[in-house]
Amino acid sequence: MTVGSLRWKVAALITLACCAVAAVVGVLVHRTTLERTMRQGEERALVWAAMVAKEYRAGTPPEEPAPWTESIKRPDELPSPLRERLAVESPATWYDDRKPDQPWMWAAQWVNGGLVATSRMEVGSDMIRLRALDRAMVRAALTALAVVVPISVCLAEPANRRLRRVARTARRIANGDLDARVAPAPPRRGGSLARRGGRDEIADISAAVDSMAASLQHRLLAEQRFTADVAHDLRTPLMGLVAVVELLEEGETTDLVRGQVRVLRSLVEDLLEVSRLDAGAEVAERVRVPLAELAEESAARVGVEVRVLASGNPVAETDPRRLDRILANLVLNAHRHGAPPVEITVRDHVIEVRDRGSGFPPELLADGPKRFRTGAAERGRGHGLGLTIALGQAHVIGADLTLANAPDGAVAVLRLPRQPSG
Amino acid sequence: MTSLLLVEDDAVIRASVSLALERYGFRTATAADGLSGLEAAQAGGHDLLLLDVMLPGLDGISLCRRIRETSQVPILMMSARGDGLDVVAGLEGGADDYVVKPVDLSVLVARIRSLLRRAAFARPVPAEPTAGQAVAFAVLDFGELSIDTGALEVRRAGQRVELTPTELRLLLEFAAHPGIVLERATLLRTVWDYGWDGDSRVVDLCVQRLRKKIGADRIETVRGFGYKLRTS
Repeated sequence: MTVGSLRWKVAALITLACCAVAAVVGVLVHRTTLERTMRQGEERALVWAAMVAKEYRAGTPPEEPAPWTESIKRPDELPSPLRERLAVESPATWYDDRKPDQPWMWAAQWVNGGLVATSRMEVGSDMIRLRALDRAMVRAALTALAVVVPISVCLAEPANRRLRRVARTARRIANGDLDARVAPAPPRRGGSLARRGGRDEIADISAAVDSMAASLQHRLLAEQRFTADVAHDLRTPLMGLVAVVELLEEGETTDLVRGQVRVLRSLVEDLLEVSRLDAGAEVAERVRVPLAELAEESAARVGVEVRVLASGNPVAETDPRRLDRILANLVLNAHRHGAPPVEITVRDHVIEVRDRGSGFPPELLADGPKRFRTGAAERGRGHGLGLTIALGQAHVIGADLTLANAPDGAVAVLRLPRQPSG
Repeated sequence: MTSLLLVEDDAVIRASVSLALERYGFRTATAADGLSGLEAAQAGGHDLLLLDVMLPGLDGISLCRRIRETSQVPILMMSARGDGLDVVAGLEGGADDYVVKPVDLSVLVARIRSLLRRAAFARPVPAEPTAGQAVAFAVLDFGELSIDTGALEVRRAGQRVELTPTELRLLLEFAAHPGIVLERATLLRTVWDYGWDGDSRVVDLCVQRLRKKIGADRIETVRGFGYKLRTS
């Protein structure tokens, strides 16, 4: 599960939304509570200040000690912010938070003689209650997050799983398994899995992938059937031709006809091989193959004089018939379009076919082999299927075939996989 | 003179292949469809059958199965499809080998000769062997399986097992290397005379047929390598 996966994005989004809601609600509650606390503090302080003023006016001399005596102050004894406010209105209040852990609420009003009746209310406990409320709200928000986020991730999981299934199926189709479907093939009691999940976007994409796979499979099967039929219809008369040519009297004409039949035959075989490779239905059958021995044999079967240079006795696990096709085509290509001597160098998992001709044409190196086009005239004639087949078969056995030019000729390097996959 | 039966519906191929084979020294009888091919095969007298896969009436694969019910004669299939399914079905049906059309006459003759060599090998040596051969031949026992390398008879729990020449040749190859893993490529070379261009499915399907006859667990598959004969 990667960090960028949908599951974590959903979780992050939900966390963000929850945090935003909790923050807004928390700030609102905090501010309302704070306002109410202040108002209550002010009211209490004002009532007390009024009482002090009343008692003072009632005539109790200030000289005599009384509970409120020290509440009657001269203006210069007042804290300056309160004094400023008192200058504007009377009675006035002031919230004194010069000591944060011990806040006070002041109230003051003028009594006669330039004196001020004051009261000072301790509001620390109210503030502690407010802070406790804040903490409780944060705790509640965190608890809610801890519950909601996992639940929502779990609820999002079925959708994720369906999406992953779609992705997996698409990958399997891409890898050639055309029977792969997102929805189970036989819909049980008239309703497929996708339909049970509702007609949502995931069901849509599942259906789209399935129908894509079905049409791809249909087309591929039709093409394969067509290829097989064409193969049959081409090969049968060709077989007749090959057999009849054997019966002809020896002579110049016979040689010409035989040569042409051979060309026609290899063309038909190459075309059929290319179409099989195009259909992507080819599967490698791997065994342990001594590479030098196979290279010698391939060259001998093609009938081209080739020098095989091997260092040690390299062995690879690969499909010998396909490797044979690759080497035969490379050797034939070197023979037809290059110049002798043709050399095969065999090393550990690497086979090199080189000739001493003019090299591959630049268009071929740039764009890869084109069917029925051999490019430069000096490379001689040919139908250009050989290299296409070599590349296609190399792909089937998981090998890497690179074509390049050395100063003295063309070089084709085939790198076999060390650990064959698939 | 070796006698072949060619069952092929295409008139040109039938005529030209049989003529060409005659030049190579084979007497060739022909049949144009599956049913007359079956009749001709059942009449016997042929050393090897050459069957086309796509035949009117009875197709080549069914024909091969029908023939195998009564006969162990060497069978070579000719497929014009070469797309695997034909080949596998033919080999499952009991064919010894296959070629894909259009096949060069020289290749076809090489396959025929290889198959005939196996058939000749499968014929027991004369009743009075020379002194040298007498030492070499023996009865080999592997559990309930016994192989008489002289009389070329195979018995399973005392019951005679009928093997085609290719199956017999393959079994003898295993018996000569009891308990040793034989790679497919090696078997293709020694039994079928193929090089690296041989199709290993020929081996796989022949091993399958052999297992049906001599007991499924007698030949073990060694994944990624090949097969070996279980000795106990």
